[in-house]
Amino acid sequence: MLTVKGLAKRLPDGKPLLRDISFQVEKGEFVAVFGESGVGKTVLLRCVNGLTAPDSGEVVINGDGGPQRVNGKTGKELRRLRRRIGMIFQGANLVKRLSVLENVMTGRLGWINPSRSLLYGFTDQEAERALEALEKVGVKHLAFRRAETLSGGEMQRVAIARALLQEPYLLLADEPVASLDPKNASAVLDCLKPLTAQMAIIGVFHHLDIVRKYCTRAIGIRDGVVAYDGKPDVPRDVLNAVYGSEPRAWPVAAGQ
Amino acid sequence: MNGTISLGTGRRKAEQRHRRYYERYLWTGGLLVFLFGWNAAELGLSARLFIEGLPHFLALVAEMFPPNWQVLTGGRVWWGILETLSMAFMGTFLGAAVSFVLGILAAGNAAPSRAVREAVRTLMAAERAVPTLVIILLLVVVVGLGPFAGMLAIAIGSVGMLGKLFAEAIENADPKPLESLESAGATGMQVIRYGVLPQVMPSFIANTLYRFDINLRAALFLGVVGGGGVGFDLHMAMSLFRYADALAITAVVLVMILLAEKLSDYLRRKIIGQEVLQ
Amino acid sequence: MSVPAPGAMRLHLKKFRKYVAPALVATLLLWGASTVCRVDLGALLAGMPRGVALFGHMLPPRWEDFPALAGPALETVQIASVGTVLGAVLALLIALAAAGNLSPHRAVRELARGALTAERALPDLIIILFFVAIVGLGAFPGVMALAVCSVGMLGKLFADAFEEVDPKPLEAMAAVGATRAQIIRYAVLPQVFPSLIANTLYRFDVNIRMSIFLGVVGAGGIGFNLVMSMRLLRYQEAFAAILVILVLVVMCEQLSDALRRRVLGQEVLR
Ligand SMILES: Nc1ncnc2c1ncn2[C@@H]1O[C@H](COP(=O)(O)OP(=O)(O)OP(=O)(O)O)[C@@H](O)[C@H]1O
Ligand SMILES: [Mg+2]
Repeated sequence: MLTVKGLAKRLPDGKPLLRDISFQVEKGEFVAVFGESGVGKTVLLRCVNGLTAPDSGEVVINGDGGPQRVNGKTGKELRRLRRRIGMIFQGANLVKRLSVLENVMTGRLGWINPSRSLLYGFTDQEAERALEALEKVGVKHLAFRRAETLSGGEMQRVAIARALLQEPYLLLADEPVASLDPKNASAVLDCLKPLTAQMAIIGVFHHLDIVRKYCTRAIGIRDGVVAYDGKPDVPRDVLNAVYGSEPRAWPVAAGQ
Repeated sequence: MNGTISLGTGRRKAEQRHRRYYERYLWTGGLLVFLFGWNAAELGLSARLFIEGLPHFLALVAEMFPPNWQVLTGGRVWWGILETLSMAFMGTFLGAAVSFVLGILAAGNAAPSRAVREAVRTLMAAERAVPTLVIILLLVVVVGLGPFAGMLAIAIGSVGMLGKLFAEAIENADPKPLESLESAGATGMQVIRYGVLPQVMPSFIANTLYRFDINLRAALFLGVVGGGGVGFDLHMAMSLFRYADALAITAVVLVMILLAEKLSDYLRRKIIGQEVLQ
Repeated sequence: MSVPAPGAMRLHLKKFRKYVAPALVATLLLWGASTVCRVDLGALLAGMPRGVALFGHMLPPRWEDFPALAGPALETVQIASVGTVLGAVLALLIALAAAGNLSPHRAVRELARGALTAERALPDLIIILFFVAIVGLGAFPGVMALAVCSVGMLGKLFADAFEEVDPKPLEAMAAVGATRAQIIRYAVLPQVFPSLIANTLYRFDVNIRMSIFLGVVGAGGIGFNLVMSMRLLRYQEAFAAILVILVLVVMCEQLSDALRRRVLGQEVLR
């Protein structure tokens, strides 16, 4: 499904951030990415869907049209790839002045006829799908509220619904439950988990208990390379190595 | 069982709401487009007119070139420029002076009485509603054609806006220094002079300079309706089909406007910069 | 009498530079300007009775003229509104090219910004006269002139609004595979909509006044009736026209104010 090979990315000031990242993810997997704040987890996810161009290495997606390289593609080809890669941003990134329903329906933008979407908006079918997705993440009652009136957790769930409307085969989730209370967090994860039947999910998580309970695999990043790639039950010494020596960085018991 | 049923109707309701939402959106958009088209048709606008005008446009532009710099040698145009500048300068100055007094009388915290304040406010609001065209047409009857009428029109036309802005600035002045002056036994006039004015002068000057930019452009218009100045020469050149003359005059006018704006910008920065430093 | 201390001297000099010299210059300029303007208090005083008499001649307004003025008044509003809408649409397109975050290319952006600045520098009178010269008399040149006059200001305000949008939703739209046009439609326009509408309404206020002036140069509307009545010394007719103009201006201002408050009010509620 996804192959990342030798990915490297420097910061604008020339400092290397990601140096050599390689891994492979298949459908059905729920991969947790972890690592210190600022280690480049967000940058990695952005390289996967082409929002950020890596300096070297390659990202290959094997979706509906055979294996395709993401980096190097532009314009229409890139859009075609992206429309089936869902992305849940760290801050949800909703369009604040649109209604929740409209925000969710924008997940269809890559699919529908561009000139139609410019004038009229969306059809009833799309509205129906959006409502279904909202129901799945448990916020259907908010459908007609303006996105700016939602709480952070609600926004995050709307962003998940938006990604679901893309019918993704790969879902990138950048700390999707970071702003949710434990109950809501497990509710969201409970609805993400079954999706692995149709797709691969890569999520950034900071809670070991979440990773243990939901994920099928964990990838730890340190100093720009993959420092751990294996079972979600990450051994403590690995944690200490990935997060440096301060154990406070890994909120093991947090949330429960 | 019950649960699924209620969920189903809930979804139908939501879908209906979605449809209503978009119907409203379509109706509003359609109505606006219709209104626009209807008004445009009523005015006799059409794409045909536009296309037919195009060759005409090109011919006219061609006729403008080369600009006839000869018109600038006679001194007429330069005198017009001087008149326009004088009208704008003197008019702005006079208007600002009157606004200064009216602004104090109209500010809630400086006016001698409520009645005065309301009267002045109403007067200024009324002035703002009167287009400058009406003012100049009346003034021409009173003082005759020429730059004097234009200057007066600019002065009167500035009072509404400047007075209102000045009054607002005074009302927004920090009351604490005023209280301390009052407690030191200052009279009302003294409080205004030493407590209020230092606070509001920068904004007053900035607004006056800003108004000067507006008035310079307005002074061009006044030339057309008998207010004198280079606007008249421009209008004449255009109506007598002397397009090459018109282009030369336009060039000079443009330079005048740009220089004047630069100057007012410089003054604004210099004067207000000083005030801020103090 | 001793020579003042150097410090005091400097103080005097500073005072001179700061207050006396500018005051001197201003006085000179005012004297010059008043000479050029032929300021004549005598003429003003002599004209006062004429002004009073003018009001006498104007009263009462010719009531039977009002129905005939309705047409030109409507035309004035139509010219202003159609011109404003045309100008706003044009400004929107140019602003998309002029906004740094949406422009397809740096060069395009500089070009669009330059065009907008040039239009703002160009006096409106020149644009109006130009269009009257091209198209001839009637409402058409008026509409075109107002549209062009509005483009510079609206285009700049729109472009500034575009540049201030929150970039995150744009990125989210790009991530779902939206085209540039779709991103503008669904992530940019919703963010700037209130400011676009408010600025356009403000420009409509300006254009109503300009539309009244348009009649003077033969570009249609009620200004023509007013100027004609004044030239023909038909003061009662003129007064009727003035009354209609005042009502028009105030009504349009109230309307656009109310609409603006509605559009912006939604913002405050949030
Ligand atoms: N566009 C950019 N310009 C400059 N620096 C950047 C840019 N994007 C990211 N960085 C830097 O790259 C580093 C990694 O950023 P990234 O957002 O990937 O961290 P992260 O691992 O996701 O951290 P967190 O857990 O806090 O979200 C940070 O130091 C950040 O400041
Ligand atoms: Mg991050």
